Amino acid sequence: MAGCVNKEQEAINSGSKDADSLSLLSGKNPYSSIDQSPMDVSYYPEGYPQIKMAMPQQTAGPVARVIYSRPHKKGRIIFSHSENSLCKYGQPWRFGANESTEIEFFEPVVINNKNLSAGRYVLYCIPQEDRWVLVVNSNLHSWGLHVDPDQDITRIELPVQEQKPALEDFTMVFKPAYYGADLIIAWDSIKVILPINFSKS
Amino acid sequence: MLKNLPFILCNSCRNIDSFIFEKILNMKHLLTAMCFLCASAAGFAQAKVIPLDKSPLDVCYFPENFPMLKIQGKAAGPLLARLIYSRPSKGDRIVFGELIAYGKLWRLGANEATEIEFFQNVKIGSYKLKKGRYTVYTIPEANKWTVIFNKENDTWGSFGYDPKKDVAKITVPVQTITDSVEIFTISLDKISSGFNMNISWDNTKVNLPIYLQ
Repeated sequence: MAGCVNKEQEAINSGSKDADSLSLLSGKNPYSSIDQSPMDVSYYPEGYPQIKMAMPQQTAGPVARVIYSRPHKKGRIIFSHSENSLCKYGQPWRFGANESTEIEFFEPVVINNKNLSAGRYVLYCIPQEDRWVLVVNSNLHSWGLHVDPDQDITRIELPVQEQKPALEDFTMVFKPAYYGADLIIAWDSIKVILPINFSKS
Repeated sequence: MLKNLPFILCNSCRNIDSFIFEKILNMKHLLTAMCFLCASAAGFAQAKVIPLDKSPLDVCYFPENFPMLKIQGKAAGPLLARLIYSRPSKGDRIVFGELIAYGKLWRLGANEATEIEFFQNVKIGSYKLKKGRYTVYTIPEANKWTVIFNKENDTWGSFGYDPKKDVAKITVPVQTITDSVEIFTISLDKISSGFNMNISWDNTKVNLPIYLQ
């Protein structure tokens, strides 16, 4: 029973900010040091803030952004049946580290035939060997993953695909698709792709 | 056309020291590529290594550590504010007056401009701000900073700053701290009827009181 959730619980109990931390980077800062799994942001359109700065007149608002933390593989087994893997198959995973992963839509979208209004949602998944169950949930601003099925908006099964080259850092990025955008979620040698439909219904 | 813009050049290295860093990055890429070739020849699988951003993104909350308090069942009330910013390191540099010029607009960090979200209405100085997201800039000077809250969100750097979209502009005194702060740090610290936006880097510290309405 050494899945992600339990590791997080241990980290919570011990007050550690990051379940994956090996050591803190700097002892000098009297407030807080930089995290081992730093936060990052991805926008759709990709690189939106830079695009907007380049063409302020022509750029409409962003459509989506995801805020997540980026753990590194560091030689570990990430996804497997083994108790020793970072994310054991069947155990819910928050997509990263630290705070739950947050996705914000700035306009209504459709995921899995479900209409989602503009706003913020939590994303998490239950990884399996050949497919992941991705969950969109509305219980915001939690540390770790607060599994709260009452606030699930939708659940979608996504096939696991091969990621080449394998990625050291956990990565989430949006890419354009004819129906809207794909959210690519990739780490180590696998990825899943979440289709997001922008057509307003 | 995009490629002609200097800040787009920094795209691959989202950092303030873009050009120096980019050179290092290119060298790293070359080394990584060489290692990759050697490893491939030897038949090893090689993970793609993307260097960690030199100024990674971070978040702070008021109440402090809100997400942790929430899941521990210790949150006394709702989340009131959240600030998202990038955290450059001082290194061997002199920060204020050199790396960050006095009298010039600064994005309060690196990469994307710093963003604060208020989950209820607030008062900053004499300005009343409705709940919502704002971009925060500052104009640092030796003995005082002007802190600016602007309604244009999702910006990068301070390139797109439009003073017409300012919603608050407050001057606060600079305090000197004896223990130098290596990594640029912002925290939201409780005060009576609100919180201080506490900004510190190198030997400089600034406190901006924000009152909940």
